[in-house]
Formats: sequence, C-alpha cells, structure tokens
Amino acid sequence: MILASPTKPYHGARRRWRAALRWFVLVSAVALAWPLRSDSVTSVLLPALSPFVGICSALATRAVGVISLFALPVIALAAVFPRWFCHYACPAGLLQELLERFHPAVAPVSSRVPPVGKWLVAVALGGACIGNPLFLWLDPLALFNGFLTSWRGPLVAMNLVAGLGLPLLLLFNVFFPRVWCQRLCPLGASQELLAWPRQRLRRAAGGSNAVTRELQGPLVARRMFLGGCAGVAGVLALNLARGGTPSPLRPPGALGETQFTGVCLRCGNCAQACPARIIHPDFGASGVAGFLSPVLRFDSDYCHEDCYRCGQVCPSGALERLPLERKSLHLIGMATVNLDTCLLVNGRECTACIRACPYAALSVQSADGGFLNEPVVDRAKCNGCGACEAVCPVRPERSIRVSPHGSQ
Amino acid sequence: METRLSRRDLLRLLSAAGLGAAFSRHAVADEVGIAPVAATVPENKLIPTPDGPRYPAQWIGGKVIQPERPLTVVNETDVLVVGGGPAGFAAVVASARAGAKTTLVERYGYFGGQWTGGLVLLVISSHARENGQLVKVLRGIGDELLERLTRIDGAVVNQAPGKFNPTSDPEATKFMMDEMIREAGVKVFLHCWVADVVMDGPVIRGVVFESKAGRQAILAKIVVDATGDGDVFAAAGAEHERRLHAIGLVHRVGNADRADRTRLAEAGVKSLGSVEPLSSVKWVNLRGPSTDCLDVGELTRLEMEHRRAIWNRVQQLRKKPGGEELFLLQTAPQLGVRMSRLLTGTHQLTYAEAREGKKFADTIAVGGAQNGQHRGWPIPYGVMLPKKLDNLLAAGRCVCVDEKLIEDSRLIASCLTTGHAAGAAAALAIQTGCRPREVEIARLQKLLLSQGAYLG
Repeated sequence: MILASPTKPYHGARRRWRAALRWFVLVSAVALAWPLRSDSVTSVLLPALSPFVGICSALATRAVGVISLFALPVIALAAVFPRWFCHYACPAGLLQELLERFHPAVAPVSSRVPPVGKWLVAVALGGACIGNPLFLWLDPLALFNGFLTSWRGPLVAMNLVAGLGLPLLLLFNVFFPRVWCQRLCPLGASQELLAWPRQRLRRAAGGSNAVTRELQGPLVARRMFLGGCAGVAGVLALNLARGGTPSPLRPPGALGETQFTGVCLRCGNCAQACPARIIHPDFGASGVAGFLSPVLRFDSDYCHEDCYRCGQVCPSGALERLPLERKSLHLIGMATVNLDTCLLVNGRECTACIRACPYAALSVQSADGGFLNEPVVDRAKCNGCGACEAVCPVRPERSIRVSPHGSQ
Repeated sequence: METRLSRRDLLRLLSAAGLGAAFSRHAVADEVGIAPVAATVPENKLIPTPDGPRYPAQWIGGKVIQPERPLTVVNETDVLVVGGGPAGFAAVVASARAGAKTTLVERYGYFGGQWTGGLVLLVISSHARENGQLVKVLRGIGDELLERLTRIDGAVVNQAPGKFNPTSDPEATKFMMDEMIREAGVKVFLHCWVADVVMDGPVIRGVVFESKAGRQAILAKIVVDATGDGDVFAAAGAEHERRLHAIGLVHRVGNADRADRTRLAEAGVKSLGSVEPLSSVKWVNLRGPSTDCLDVGELTRLEMEHRRAIWNRVQQLRKKPGGEELFLLQTAPQLGVRMSRLLTGTHQLTYAEAREGKKFADTIAVGGAQNGQHRGWPIPYGVMLPKKLDNLLAAGRCVCVDEKLIEDSRLIASCLTTGHAAGAAAALAIQTGCRPREVEIARLQKLLLSQGAYLG
C-alpha cells in the first residue's frame, strides 16, 4: 500500500512544509480560476496539470498541444515520487481531508474497495487509442476547476453542471472517507502506474519478497490489457449506438464527435468564457457518450466573429486552440432555410437573417419576375455561426436554423 | 366656347333624362367650373394668366433655356411638410396640434404614400419585445389613426391588445388621414409636385412646386422633408447618399373568399396573398429588381413590366381549378419604391446600435421588431438633422441610418414615428424661436409624450 499511513504520515517540520505547500497550491488554484476576474484564460492551467488528462487527451487527439506540456513535470515527478501530487498538491484531496475532520467517527472502508481507479485509467487509455478516453471528466482537477469557474458569470445550466462535480465528490467522501482518493481517483491511479517501473525495480533490488502482488509485472500488464480492451469495446459500442446520427452543434474547433465526447472534461470553461452564452450542457442530443458535453444553442445570440475564447480555455484539447482567422473558417454547421415558414418567401420583406450574417453568406434570390424571393445560403461562406438563427423572427420554430454536419 | 355649350347641353340633357337626381349637385358645380377664367389667350411669349405672365422655356443657341422669372408665393407658413406619406401625415398633425401654422404639399391626390398608394397596407414593426413582453412602440399619431380605424368595420385587422403588425384597408386609411388632417387645421396642397427649394444661403426659406397652375412657391420658417426620396434636402444641397433598392408593384386580388382553396392547393397554389381587412381581397407583394428610382426610364420600364407580370399571374390563377372567380382588383397607383436618398445627419443610426438597443439622450422615437420578436431600437433626433443646413428636417425613410438598418427604418411604423417627432420638433422650434437643431431635447420629449409618443 503506497499511502500506508493515511492519518498522520508525516511529522514535525516535514508535515508543516507539506501543509504549507498544499495550502499554497489550493490558494493558487483558486486564484488561477478566480471567478470574479473577467479573464478566464488562467483557469485552463489546473486541469492541464493532470497526467491522466494530459496523456489520455494527447493519445486521443494524436497531438501534443501546448497545454498538454503542463502535465510533463507532474509526470516526471510521479515516476520518481509515487503519488507525490496527491500528497503535496491536490487541492481536491486537501478539501476532502478538511471535511473529514468533521466526520472522524466514520471508519475508513477503502481497503475493501477494489482499485477501480486503475481500471478506469486502463479503460480510458484503451478508449483513447481509438479516440475516446471515456472517463476524462472524472479527473479531480477538472471537477475542482469546474466548481470554481461555475461561479463566473450568470447562472446558466452549463455552470450548474460543471459546478456540481466537486460538491458531489465531497459528499461522497463524507459517507465513504478516503475511498475516492485511494481507490477511485484516476489521477491518483495514473500516478501509481507511472511510478510502477521505478518501484518495481527498487523492490526487486531489495529482494523478491518485497514485491507485492500489486507490483507484479504480469498482473499490471494483464490489467492494463483487459482494461484497454474494455475501453476499445466500450467506445466501439458507443459509436455503434450513435450510428449515423448527426453530431450536435459543438463549439468551434471541436474535435470529431467521437473524440470530443471523450476528451471533453465537462469543466465548463468554454461556457464560462463564451460572451454570447450560447454553450449549454447536452441532455441527450449526443447520446450517453455526450451526456453533459457542451452544445450550442442560438436562441438569442450566436458565435461571434471576433471571439475565439472557448478554444483558448479548453484544458483537454477537446476544443482546438484556433487563432481567430482559423476559428472563423471552422464549420460549426450549415444554415438551412425552411421555405414554408420563411417570411421573405411568404411576401413579407423580412431580411433579418441576411442582414445579421457576419460573413455575407446569405442573399435574396428572386425568381418569377420578383414574385418569388427566398434567402439562399452560400455554402462556401457559411460556417454555421448561428447569427441568422438568433435573429429569425419566426416562432415557435425558426425559419432558418443551423443544422449539424451531415444532416442537410 | 362651343365646347362649353355642348357640355352644358349634355348635362341638361342628362338631368332631363332622369339621371339628374344623382348628378344634379355635380352639374351645378360643373357649370361653375367650366365658366371662363380668362379672356382669349393671345399668342405671345409672355403668356398672361390670372396669376401673372408665363415664361416658357426658350430655344436659344441649340439649348433649352429656362428664363429668369419671379414666382408667385401662394402660401406662407410656419411649418411646411413636403410629402403626405406616413411621415408627412404624422408630421403635419403633430405640428398643427402643437400650435404651429402648418402646410402640407403632396404630389398625389391622397395621403398615405406607400401605405395607401403603394398598397403596402401592412404596418410592420408596430411592436417590439422587451424582457419577453410584447410592447407597442408605434404610439402617438400613427397609433391614433389605427385605433380610429378599429371603429370602422372592415378597416383594420391585428390592431388589438396582444396582436401586432396591423393591416389596414387603403381607402379607409386615406379617409381617416383626411379627417385627422382636416381636424388638425392643416393647409393642404394636393396634386402639387415639389420641384425646387428656396434657399437663403445655408437656410431654407421655402419650396417651389409644380402643379396645373404652373410653378409657384410656398414660404416657410421650417421645412420637413417627408418626400421619402429626400427631394427637398437634395435640392437644398444637403449632404446625402444614394442607395439602390428593389422596386416592385403590389396588386390586390378580388373574390378571394370565393376561390376553392383546397383545389387551388392541389394545383400548387399555396397562398393567394396576405390578409386584408376585407376577406374577399388579398394583397400580393412583388419585390422586383434592385434599381434606381430617380431614373424615370427605369420607373417607366418597371411600371409596365410589373403590370404585365401581374396581369399574367392573375390570368394563370384564373385558369387553375378553384381559382376561376379570382380577378385582378387593382395594381398599386404607386410603384413600390423602397429606398433612394439617405440624409447624412448629425447622427447615423447603425444596425449594430439598433440591435444592441442603444439608448440616446435625444431619443425621439423607438423602432419596432419586424415580427415583434426583438427589442425596440431608440431613434435619436440627430438622424433627421442635416449637418449644415438650417430650418430643414428629414423624416420617414430618408433619415440617416446605415445600409443594414434601412430595412427597418423604411417601414411604415418607423416613418410614422419619425414623422411625428419631426412635426413636433418643428412646431417647438417655431414656438421657442430657435433653429430645429437648437430645440431643447427635454421639452421636445415632453411634447412628444404629451402627444402619446413612445420613447422607451
């Protein structure tokens, strides 16, 4: 057992140092994601530190972005000092320990719980190999960050969703103390796996008796292989269940639908950063795999042509960090007109959508000597920003709507 | 003389034949009307008329030269409004009710402009949505007209609480405009086409207009350009821009209630046109091509092409099963001109400002949402003030807005509210003895509110 003495593992000066460091990290984390600041770019840092997020998203996206580099020092240290992040840094862990002081009577049950965390990591790695890491959203740093950023801006559904993770985790800890940290947390488990080679070598050098079952090579390999296979199977099953259903409208720069649902942490950063408040949590349009992932709704505003903030604050790379000019080229969807209800088609001179389009992708097409008029979409110019849908005056269903890819 | 006698004889004959009961009053009037107004007109270059000599243009050196000549001033007034469309109508009523001596010059024989003569009928943008609630932004004189129409059976639809974008009957609207203008005590010149302005340096002193009586002048302390095309401010030399827009022609189809809609739908005719107060009539829009309404050649071409297209369309409808009894009731007396000149005002109201709902210290009206689904857009006084010229205001579709906002500012509801504001501002300037640009905004807003206007 790596976390051998959970109550008071350290003594004296070392303990005070550890406490000071942990509080420093907690305060820094809160400061970085401080909700009262208008700038939300720094809120990307905390989840990006997680090796679990960094490795899985790099594997799933087949790319190592700038953000994934933040995880490198944590990975390197974890290989040398097992679970160092849990001991010295994790703000979610510190909060849980603080809460435990109010419930000291509950007996720890962690030893009776199987190492679910390691299985989660194995499954996530397997899924990530084919693009969908499945459990990235369980990362405690993402949950912690989501809680902080949820206080930013007005109370929208996406904030609530992102903000609920940490309170639920803490509540779980009240009833099952330390179970999360020791047995479930994928961040903790991924550190253990990273530390495995060095530990195995040290124990082997100290005599084969010291090599516990947990550290035996074949067992770890088998566990990783089985978990990985389960991940692959799970992702394939999800894809099969989705079938040809068109993906919902995602923020600009989103990965392909399969990758996106897995790589997205549900941290809520994008929804918080969006000045138009068009990013909402999904409750079904993208199936089980996309539950609570961000989708776009153009009820009252659209994806502004001068904004690319969502991509800048995504900690996992689910949204690509596109510069403004490339973000404008990214296709969110495609505007489609319902000619039966369109006011212009029906002799009313509405040109609301045509005027609202920031890319001049809409124009009036006239036929029959001017009796027939309809808005036409220039598919080469439309990027699905939703400006047309946001201003369409027709209710209840608007006459011009942005349709997802592959649905037109 | 022979003509006179023969017509008089004809009328006598008609009366004698028993048709006189209906025509008798007209016959008496005609007898007066055909009395000689002058003796034999001699052949001369300076043709004398009751109003003075006439000066025809001269063929001099291969050019047509208009001789210099004095013009008869037929009217002197405080506020002169040129154009009797929605903006001009609201302007004269507001000005006269505020106590200014007011005159209106209109080129056609009725009021309402595109609303009645263009058969647009539909008052779009009467409402906006504020915090989810439907709010009427078309208030004041325009709304009063529509409210009075609700008391006449078959004169207006969708003018009721919870409804928006009313449609009115063109004849009822003309009639009610006549009544309100008469009640307000406005001096009216119909069938008079303003051709030029009277300038005194950078200050406008009046207008010159053409009519059957020739070229005459009206002097005014303040002129409101409600011509829609900015004819007055362009003639006065105010800075402005030119825009092209679609020019169409509206028509109305009769016997719509006797058409078999089911069979027509089977034949591919989904709609006969838009709703009117009378169920037997539908109006049909024709957008037409984008062109220059200041080019009379284009107007002539479009008038005839559109009329042919409309005729053919209705004939095709009549051939469809279920549409046999439909007929072309009317093509609009006026071409559907949407936009031509825009004043360069002291403030250009932009589409972005309007969509943002930006508020102004000098708000004098609020524009609405085309389908009552978006917030209203405050309109500042600066959109109707020329940059340099004095004693001149613009109202209606030619006020200072950017390209995208034209689609909202040209609508009847916006024209009614900016017209109302221009009339009130002109009257207040007269009352306080200042130039329109010096009008105290707080007093103007108070006057507008007392006249029922909505300022947000």
